[in-house]
Amino acid sequence: MDIFALLMWPIKWVIEAILVGFHWVVTALGGDPGSGLTWVLSIVGLVLVIRSAMIPLTVRQIVSSRKSLEIQPEIQRIQKKYKGKKDQFSREAMQRETMEAYKKAGTNPFASCLPLLVQMPIFLGLVQVLTDANNQKAGVGLLNLDLATLFSNSTLFGVVPLHMTMQGGFAEGSIPVIVTAILLTLIMCATQFYTQLQIMTKNQTPAMKESPMYKQQRILLYIIPVFLLVSAWLFPLGTMFYWLVSNVYTLVQQLIIINKLPTPGSEAALAREARMARKRQRMGLPATDDEPADGAATPQIETKTQRQQPRSKKPKSEREG
Amino acid sequence: MPRNICVAILVAYRAVISPLYGDVCRYYPSCSRYAMEAIQQHGVVRGIWFGARRILRCHPWAAGGVDDIPEPRQRFATTRAGFVLARKEQ
Repeated sequence: MDIFALLMWPIKWVIEAILVGFHWVVTALGGDPGSGLTWVLSIVGLVLVIRSAMIPLTVRQIVSSRKSLEIQPEIQRIQKKYKGKKDQFSREAMQRETMEAYKKAGTNPFASCLPLLVQMPIFLGLVQVLTDANNQKAGVGLLNLDLATLFSNSTLFGVVPLHMTMQGGFAEGSIPVIVTAILLTLIMCATQFYTQLQIMTKNQTPAMKESPMYKQQRILLYIIPVFLLVSAWLFPLGTMFYWLVSNVYTLVQQLIIINKLPTPGSEAALAREARMARKRQRMGLPATDDEPADGAATPQIETKTQRQQPRSKKPKSEREG
Repeated sequence: MPRNICVAILVAYRAVISPLYGDVCRYYPSCSRYAMEAIQQHGVVRGIWFGARRILRCHPWAAGGVDDIPEPRQRFATTRAGFVLARKEQ
């Protein structure tokens, strides 16, 4: 056994245990053990367990970004200091100061890439588990030979084998497989696109929208579907179901976050404040109790912090020569 | 220089994959930028080692903040895209 397989072993064991557990539950509830639907439901269960296990990470992040609201005056001071300075060195200095301020306050609005990284080995593990089961090989743990055979023979609605890829569907000319794969890809694209769009248009502050990262994000919004199509071509339908349900989970979670715990200063936060104000009005209370209503109306003084290079009106070609 | 192969991979990563999940790094410079600078200035082996340790350091329980690469004895000059030139920085 090589080092990679050794690292994957515990992950695969847990995935198999959860899959087999849900398969047992669905069968006990009257599902056909050999039907594709039972296995799809088991995969749905797997998603629910894994994503729910990650809820503490998400909540921690939201609490942390709430806390970073407390040092908002300090952040605004830094932003004002560098207002209008668009050159690379000013931007870098601004980011450095912002990060230092967050660190000093003992909070950080960023999630780090760990929540994304932990999902990668899980997805890889699932691909390996399903591939082994497709080849009618017993897994590393609870997924024994009988269950593996059951899985590899299972079909959705009697026509769509779960272990097939889109590539396989085209190779065998199986229309139901192709249609299912394309349908799954379309739903996946739609959910991914919608989630990303929600985050980008509603849950980002104007300052975030000004960063160069935002523009790149916008372009990539249209490239993601291509990635998904390629993966649909390569991965079996079973793994696509995992991905799809996971996407839907993210979407629902994101909608809840946007509704209940939006990023301070974003459009969603303003909408939430408006909703709360309306609610207070219905209950016969003053619209707000802490801020004077004309607070936002104070005129903003345009400060020019960066000196503009003087420019000659004559074009360069006329000046030289 | 061999380190430029790694730099090319990181440049591609930062252009294509990084924007997919936006600004998430708890440190400044971000992990990929840190790894790139480390590889540029310290070479492939030490650079990857520094980068890997940084990624392990970057988790939701870390304090974050400014975290620069260990200062090398001499800095190499780089192009705008980040490729390392075979001469020392002036």
